[in-house]
Amino acid sequence: MANTTRDENLTIIGHLARWINWPRFLLAITLFFFLTGILFPFYWMASSSFKTFQEIGGTEPVYVPSGLRLEAYRELFVPSHPRFQEFGRNILNTAKVSVPTAIIAVILSTMGAYAIARFRFKGKEALLNSILVIYLFPGILLIIPIFAMLSRVANQLGFSVQDNLGVLVFTYLAQTLPVALYMLANYFRTVPGEIEEAALIDGCSRLEVIWRVTLPLSVPALVSVAIYTFMIAWNEFLYAFIFLNDSDMFTMPIKINAIYNSPSFRPNVVMAASTVMTIPVVVLFLSLERFLEEGLTAGGVKG
Amino acid sequence: MAETKETSKSGRGGFSLRQKEARLAWILVSPTALIVFGLVLFPAIFSIWISFHDVGLQNLGNVFQADFVGLQNYRQVVTDFAFKYRGPQDWGAAINSVVFSFGSTVLTLLLGLIAALVLNQRFPARGAARAIFLFPYVAPIVSVAFVWKWILDPKPSGVLNDILLSVGVIQEPVSYLATRGLAMVLVVIFEAWRYFPFAMLMILARLQAIDETLYEVATVAGASIWQKFRYVTLPGLRYVLGSIFLLRLMWTFNKFDDIWLLTGGGYGTNVLPVLTYQFSFQSYDFGKGAANAMILLLILVVCLAAYVGIMMRGTEEV
Repeated sequence: MANTTRDENLTIIGHLARWINWPRFLLAITLFFFLTGILFPFYWMASSSFKTFQEIGGTEPVYVPSGLRLEAYRELFVPSHPRFQEFGRNILNTAKVSVPTAIIAVILSTMGAYAIARFRFKGKEALLNSILVIYLFPGILLIIPIFAMLSRVANQLGFSVQDNLGVLVFTYLAQTLPVALYMLANYFRTVPGEIEEAALIDGCSRLEVIWRVTLPLSVPALVSVAIYTFMIAWNEFLYAFIFLNDSDMFTMPIKINAIYNSPSFRPNVVMAASTVMTIPVVVLFLSLERFLEEGLTAGGVKG
Repeated sequence: MAETKETSKSGRGGFSLRQKEARLAWILVSPTALIVFGLVLFPAIFSIWISFHDVGLQNLGNVFQADFVGLQNYRQVVTDFAFKYRGPQDWGAAINSVVFSFGSTVLTLLLGLIAALVLNQRFPARGAARAIFLFPYVAPIVSVAFVWKWILDPKPSGVLNDILLSVGVIQEPVSYLATRGLAMVLVVIFEAWRYFPFAMLMILARLQAIDETLYEVATVAGASIWQKFRYVTLPGLRYVLGSIFLLRLMWTFNKFDDIWLLTGGGYGTNVLPVLTYQFSFQSYDFGKGAANAMILLLILVVCLAAYVGIMMRGTEEV
């Protein structure tokens, strides 16, 4: 016994050798494999964004940039740069789409989810089921009819579907409302009905009860629905790609696509723009991971 | 039933209160229902109509007057050189779609299962690992697709080329996404890399619901780790694996962004959603695009029916 204790103290390797066994070894290897596979692309994105054009265009890849060079970011944000990309405008466009989507989605799904969780009415189950089935319809199936339909409507009402951020908000709402409704209805069911009944007896109207009692108790769920819809709208590519033609109206994904496919391809600029776009999403996600997982398993990014 | 009693007891007006509540319920639900039905259900039906009509840019502002052309759009799709099988060198979008969706769904499930089993063990910083495992799924598709493209850069300075050259796996730089066959393998791997966290989360939730005593019994009976996995874990995961498989299959079949951003549908990776886009928004033949999309819809409906079936059997047994 005394012998083994000395061994342990003597060498770390000896200690490790006794601690390790096949399952642990396998676990460590798999974990290493996954973490490298996941993190390397993100490291490569961030590090490439800090490289100079010389570093990125050399004959050998530069694994660690020589410093935090902001050349690529300057091209995105500084107006005096010869190839200024006006990326700030694209961030603003993306915000103009994703913030209203999130706010409207929270308001509408709160209303709908409350009705589904609390009231009994004819056709409720049918409505809920059809909304869930509809949710499974992918964007590419719907883009042609939506495009044709909205072109027709726009023609009639005298606005343009092309380069219209409001149209995008509508299509994103259609994509996100089903899951938002589902998440919130599940949450509202966990809010005890007795509290609401007490308020009703005290003379509050239904809407007052929702506003004063239910919503304050549901803040975590409301926040996660807001973040979830915000993220979907922030990341969306296909609809924005079809509906936006004017580069002044581009959202970030479309702009990044345009920079990537421009004749003078500069990976460091693409990676800088990608980093700018990824950071808010990852930060939001990390800060609210616990709340968001339910939304993710409910279908999340849909596709 | 219990609910009915409660409502009539608390509401002094009984019947009229319930009517009032039903009216309020419909008012509350209608905006969501209108948007979802108007922008999903109606378009889905409308696209069936479009697929039988000659719709192009010229009559887009006036679609309802478009000429009825019967099955002409469908005939054009199935005889299109991009759609049909044209020998082992060029599978066409139909076969590509099947290979791509089944390949990536299976790989997604496999990676998701391994990841879930790993995260179900106890080890330091497990919470952090779990959060990191979700990164590929939450990050914007455009960012991750372009990072992959940049890692797979065909120049000798591309990072994968550099690593593989220095290890000696390859002798000269490879144009990964511009080589037939290899490009397909890579988009499948990309798809699994991006979507395994979805499978992982669902499997993990199910794993944690498996009764601990089953494992204890197995341990007492002297079962090996593999036997415990084979006879306790796997049967417990049957339904969740089935439903993830169908959900992923359905969505991968209809996936546009990923392949479009990685290869643009070139080098033997063209799939039906990309073809739908090309018909509609590059040749502006919306009728033909809609006919192509109908094939997607058909597959979707079949998967959906199977999914609902599995879900119902699953809830009966659990």
